[in-house]
Amino acid sequence: MSDPATPRPIPAPPDFPVTWERPEQERLFWTHDRMHWPDPLPIVYASLVPEDGVNRAAERYQAPIRFDAARINGYQYSSFHPPLVPPEELEAMGHRAQEKVGQAMARLGEIWETEWFPEIKQHLDYWRSYDLRGATMPQLLDHLDQTLKRHQRLWTIHFEVAFPMLMSVSLFDDFYRDTLGGEGAFDAYKLLQGFTTKTVESGEELWKLSRKALGIPSVRQVLETRAAQEVIPALEASAEGRAFLADLRAYLDVYGRRGDKFDMMGQPSWIEDPTPVIKNLKDFIGQPDRDLEAERAALVAEREQAIATAREKLKGYPRQVVEQFEFLLRAAQTGIVLSEDHGYWIDYCGQYEVRMVLLEFGRRFAAAGLLDRAEDVVHLTFEEIAETAASLPRIDRRGLVAERKAEIERFRQVQPPPALGTPPPGPPPDDALSRAMGKFFGAPPAPVTDRSLLKGAAGSPGKVRGTARVVRSLAEAARLLKGDVLVAETTAPPWTPLFATAAAVVTDTGGILSHCAVVAREYGIPAVVGVGAATAVIKDGQTVEVDGDAGLVRVL
Amino acid sequence: MRECALAVTTDLLWLDHPDCRELALVGGKAANLARLASLHPVPPGFCLTTAAFDRAWNGGPPRALPSDVRATLSDAYARLEAENGADDLAVAVRSSAVDEDGVGASFAGQHETYLNVVGTEAVAEAVERCWASASAERALAYRRQQGLPVDRVQLAVLVQRLIHADVAAVVFGANPLTGDRDEVVVNASWGLGESIVGGTVTPDTYVVAKADGRVLSRRVGDKARMTVPVAGGTREVEVPRMLRGTPSLDDAQAAEAAALAVKLEAAMGWPVDVECAWRDGQLYLLQCRPITTLR
Repeated sequence: MSDPATPRPIPAPPDFPVTWERPEQERLFWTHDRMHWPDPLPIVYASLVPEDGVNRAAERYQAPIRFDAARINGYQYSSFHPPLVPPEELEAMGHRAQEKVGQAMARLGEIWETEWFPEIKQHLDYWRSYDLRGATMPQLLDHLDQTLKRHQRLWTIHFEVAFPMLMSVSLFDDFYRDTLGGEGAFDAYKLLQGFTTKTVESGEELWKLSRKALGIPSVRQVLETRAAQEVIPALEASAEGRAFLADLRAYLDVYGRRGDKFDMMGQPSWIEDPTPVIKNLKDFIGQPDRDLEAERAALVAEREQAIATAREKLKGYPRQVVEQFEFLLRAAQTGIVLSEDHGYWIDYCGQYEVRMVLLEFGRRFAAAGLLDRAEDVVHLTFEEIAETAASLPRIDRRGLVAERKAEIERFRQVQPPPALGTPPPGPPPDDALSRAMGKFFGAPPAPVTDRSLLKGAAGSPGKVRGTARVVRSLAEAARLLKGDVLVAETTAPPWTPLFATAAAVVTDTGGILSHCAVVAREYGIPAVVGVGAATAVIKDGQTVEVDGDAGLVRVL
Repeated sequence: MRECALAVTTDLLWLDHPDCRELALVGGKAANLARLASLHPVPPGFCLTTAAFDRAWNGGPPRALPSDVRATLSDAYARLEAENGADDLAVAVRSSAVDEDGVGASFAGQHETYLNVVGTEAVAEAVERCWASASAERALAYRRQQGLPVDRVQLAVLVQRLIHADVAAVVFGANPLTGDRDEVVVNASWGLGESIVGGTVTPDTYVVAKADGRVLSRRVGDKARMTVPVAGGTREVEVPRMLRGTPSLDDAQAAEAAALAVKLEAAMGWPVDVECAWRDGQLYLLQCRPITTLR
C-alpha cells in the first residue's frame, strides 16, 4: 500500500506521451492553460517564452511565487509554485510582497501612465518605424535580436501590470463580499462597471461603422447579401464602397492587430484577414439601433448609485476600513480597465509586431524555396531562423516544418489532460495572490454527473434561453445568430464584438475575473465560465438555458 | 437612606448629574461611568433609573414602559440628539444592575446590551428588553451562584451615544497571566468592542509598564473578524485581508490606554478592567469595573 502522504505523479494518458526535459519537472504540478492556449502552439513559442515575464515581475514584487512553463505535445502547461526557500523566509516574502504590491496598487494608474505605457509605446514605435522590407539580412538578424529583447520587456511589463491589477480587483471583491456583506456574486463588480476599455471600445467603434454602412445603400446591400469573404472585392467595385473600405481599414489600423485567440504567432491578425470583422459588421447591420451613449450612461449611473450605497453602509465602520475601501475601489477601477487594456497593447499590438518580423523572414525563406509558405516560419525556433537566414539559401526547412505541422495536427485531435506532474500535498493556499489567480483562471471544473445540467462559475448575471452555437474559432463564429448562446472553450478579447450578437456566453475555462466574464458584464449578457466540458457535452443547435447568477447551464 | 434621598419622580438622570453617581439609583455600570466622567471623556448619555423600574415592578419585571416613563425617555433621546447635532442618533442601550460591576461580582455580559439603536421607538423597545432581561434565566442563574437576591432585581438602563469605534480595546490593569500589578495588558482590534469581549477575534496584545507607559511587548493578532454597526444593530463581518495583520494601535495609543487604566485605578482604589474605543483619534471610556479575579 502506498503512503497517502507521498504525492505520486499523475500518469499520462496513452495517446499523450510525456517526456520531461528535466527530471525535476515531474515533481511539479502542471495544469493546461486552456483559457489562453486551448490549441497546440507552434514551436516558435519555445524561443519567445513570454511566461518568463512572470518570474521577472515576481522578483520586482518579491512575490513568493515561481512559474514554469512547458510545451507538452504542443500544449501549453503552467506550473505555479513557491520558491524553494525555508518556510520562515517564504512567510517573510509574503509580507514584503503584500507591501510591494500594495504600493503598486496605490499608484496603479500613475505607474501605467508614466512608466509602463510609455515604455510599451516606445517598443511599438520602434517596430512600427522599422523598414522590414528594406532591411538587409544582417540588419534583419539584428532586428530579430532586438525583437526578442523588446518582446521580453513587454512580457515583464505584462506581469508587472498583472500582479497589482488582478490583486486590486480580487481584494476589492473579497472586501465587498466579506466586509460589506454583499449578497450576490456580482455586487462588487457593479462598482467597477461602465469604464471604457480598449476591448469595449473596439466593439463600439465597429458598431458605429455598422451604422455608417446602413446609411449607404450600396454598402449596405453588399454587407447584407455577400458572404464575408466576398465583401471586400465587392466594395472595391464602387466609389462609395472604396470610401467605406477606407473607414474599415482605419478601424483595422487601430483594432485589427488581433487574431483569433491569444496565439498571435500562428494565427493571422484581422489586418491580414479581416473576415471575422466583416462577419461582425454583417451581424450588426441586421440588428436594431442601439444608443451606445445611453447604454454607457446607464452603466455609469448604476455604478455611482452602487458606490453611494456602499459608502452609506460604511459610515459607522472603522475609519481604516473605510480608507481601505476607497483605496481598493480606486485601484480596482483602474485594475479592471487595465485587465483589458494591457492585453490590447501587449498581447495583441506587441505580439503582432513580432509576427510581422517573423513573417518577413518567412517571406524571404519562401522566396528562396526553403519554406512552402511565409507563415510556416513559426514552425522554426529563433535559432533555426537565424541559422537559416545566415546561410541563405542553403537550409531547406520544408521537411522539418511538415513534420512539426503534422505533429501539431495529430495532437490537435487529442484531448490534452488538464493536469500533469505531481499534485501538491495539502489543500491549495488561501493567500491573496492565490485567491486572485483562482478568480482569473477559475476553479477546477466539477465532474459532469448530469449531462443536462452543467456546472460552472458565475461569470455575468442574468438568465436566458437560446440555441447553442459551439464555436471553436472566430472563423466558425459566422454561424452565431442574434439571440444564440455562444459556447466556446475560451473567448479572447477579439471575440467580444460577438457579445453584442450572442444572448449569453458559456466557456469551458476561466473564473469571475477572466476576460470573458469581465466583458460579458460590460455587455450585460449572462455568462457561465469554467464549465470544463461545455464544448464536449453541448451539441450545436441544442436549446440551453444559461443561469449566470448560479453558474449553471441546462440542456433542454 | 436611599428611600428618603430620592424622589419618586427621579426616573431619568443625565450622566453629568451628581445623583447619577448613586449606585442604588443607576446601577454599577452607570454609577462608575458618571463618577469617572470627570477624569476621562465618556460618550454623553443618560440613565433610566431603578426608580422607574421599581414603580413599574408588578410582582415581576415590568414588560412594557409606563406611558410617563416612555415620554421622559423620548424627551431625553430628543435632547441627546439635539446636543449631538444629529437626527436619528445611534445610541448604545445597556442594562446597569445595582449589584453588578462591584468588587464582588463583575456581571460581565450578564445583562443585555443593544448597540446602534436608532429612533425613539427602537430606544423604548431596547429599554423594555433590558427590563425583561432582568429575569432572563442566565442572569438569574448567575445571581443565584453569586448569592445575590433573585426575587427583587434592581435594574437601571444606560443610554449613551454610540461611539463608532475605529479601534476598540479591553484594558486590564494587571497582567492576568502573571498577576503582575505593575503591568497593563491592552487587547485591541478593529471596530466595536463586542468581538473582543465575545472572544470571536484574536486581538492585538500590548503589555505596558504602569510606571512609565513603556510598551514591554506587542503581539499582532490575526484580527479576522470585527463588529460593525449596520441598519438595526450590529453585525460581525470579516476584516479586509490587508488590515488583518496591520497593528490596530501604535505604541503611543497603547500607552494612552494604559495611562487611562492607571488613572482609573487611582480613582477607584483597585485595579480596573476597562472597555474603551477610539474614534477619529479620540479615546472614549465605555466601561470600567474593578478586577474581581485578581489573586
